Amino acid sequence: MTDEYEFEIKRKDESGKVYYSTYKVPKDKISTVLEGLLYIKENIDQSLSFRYSCRMEICGSCGMEIDGKPRMACSTIVEDLKKDRIRIEPLKHYKVIRDLVVDIDPFFEKYREVKPYIIRDDDGKYDKELPQTPEQFHEYANFAMCIKCGLCMAACPIEGSDPQYLGPAPLAAAWRYIADNRDKGAKYRVEVVDGEEGTSRCHFAGECTEVCPKGVDPSFAIQKLRRTALKIELASIFGGR
Amino acid sequence: MVEANKEMKEGISAWAKFYRKGTGYLAFAFHRLSGLVILFYLYLHYTVLSNLLRGQATYNAIVKSITYGPYDSFLALDFLLALVIFYHGANGVRLALNEFGIGMYHHKALFFTFEIIAMILLGLFDYYALQFVGVGF
Amino acid sequence: MVENEKMKYGSLNRFVQAVTGLFLIFFLGVHLYVAHIDFRHPVAFFSSVINQLHNPWWLAFFLIFVYIITYHGINGLNHIVADTSISERAKRDIGIALMVIYVITIIYGTILALLVARMTVPA
Repeated sequence: MTDEYEFEIKRKDESGKVYYSTYKVPKDKISTVLEGLLYIKENIDQSLSFRYSCRMEICGSCGMEIDGKPRMACSTIVEDLKKDRIRIEPLKHYKVIRDLVVDIDPFFEKYREVKPYIIRDDDGKYDKELPQTPEQFHEYANFAMCIKCGLCMAACPIEGSDPQYLGPAPLAAAWRYIADNRDKGAKYRVEVVDGEEGTSRCHFAGECTEVCPKGVDPSFAIQKLRRTALKIELASIFGGR
Repeated sequence: MVEANKEMKEGISAWAKFYRKGTGYLAFAFHRLSGLVILFYLYLHYTVLSNLLRGQATYNAIVKSITYGPYDSFLALDFLLALVIFYHGANGVRLALNEFGIGMYHHKALFFTFEIIAMILLGLFDYYALQFVGVGF
Repeated sequence: MVENEKMKYGSLNRFVQAVTGLFLIFFLGVHLYVAHIDFRHPVAFFSSVINQLHNPWWLAFFLIFVYIITYHGINGLNHIVADTSISERAKRDIGIALMVIYVITIIYGTILALLVARMTVPA
């Protein structure tokens, strides 16, 4: 064991050239990967680009491929990787803008498609507040933890083979609102999430749940969505509704 | 409609990359692979069965050649096929249960449970199948 | 992700795939048991196959078996095709082609089984 980590970082400059840069970072100066990157930026190479903001796993900015797995740089303790040589790459399935910075706009576009907001059937003209019991809250609380970091999109194998697939986080968001007792928009969302690029494309590899830093369970949400969609589909075949 | 981004896609070859991937991912990748193998065998099986129409002598000659030679090395593939079928079936039961909303929180435990049961059944199956082909123990 | 009013039945498709899969556990279990373990002679020779198909229950069993297993296989292949990044048009065309293959297969399977069931048992 040496007293330095080696950070091997996949980079892409403005001309589109892709190459790896290796930096030595003293072990006693850093604890997380993000701190290591900041150390490099401050002391070794100012041209290294990466995105970060809160440093505490709230903003969802610093997602990157660390040692072959999508993780948040801010919450990944370097020591936990049990390696001295750490390979850091930009998130998969996203367009790389520069170095570790990826374009997450397509992810947010997909996110918007599932209508991630409360839809009411009364045009908002209710005269008293909408009550919610703790049990009703816990129906969706787990899925509301999503910080939109997009790690699940980088982990999903279907997302990798077909970028048209909606992806785990948008589908989990759809379930988060469908499971909300104040929401009446299930039938509108099912139209979106049950299409060609929706829930039926999930084959339960479970990688999204595996990599989620906030413990959200998108694969569970997708199974739940499928059941909801199935009920609506059966109702449309056998009459009713 | 989200623009398809050519840089984003990895292609289906990415399904075969297992570095740092979880149990569910392995199950997913091998489920697809085994499914394709079984589908291929299914059509092979239909082709062989079509020879029933060509009469007793032809059909028996084919079956004999595969079982006792000269093409009896196909039997090794048969064992692989049995392995693949039992794997696919066990994982399929887990997926179907998840589809019906059962055991979603325990899908890893279910995977190993079903696979172990399937492999025990496979062992029994192979043992008896071999005995009937005439291999003594 | 076109937001049209038409139902897509994606979840129903997956549900049917799961149900047919569970049926196949039963069908394939019986088939493997009968074909490889519980028969009086080592290999399913001509006469034993003909004998089995002369029983109308076994004939029905195999016909349903063929319909279900082919559906499950072709539909599974379609799922894999859907997960590639070829164009929507190509996916639709392949889907239709697979459907045609399915129909041809089950028609052929039905004819084959019925013809074999009409063959006489050799002495």
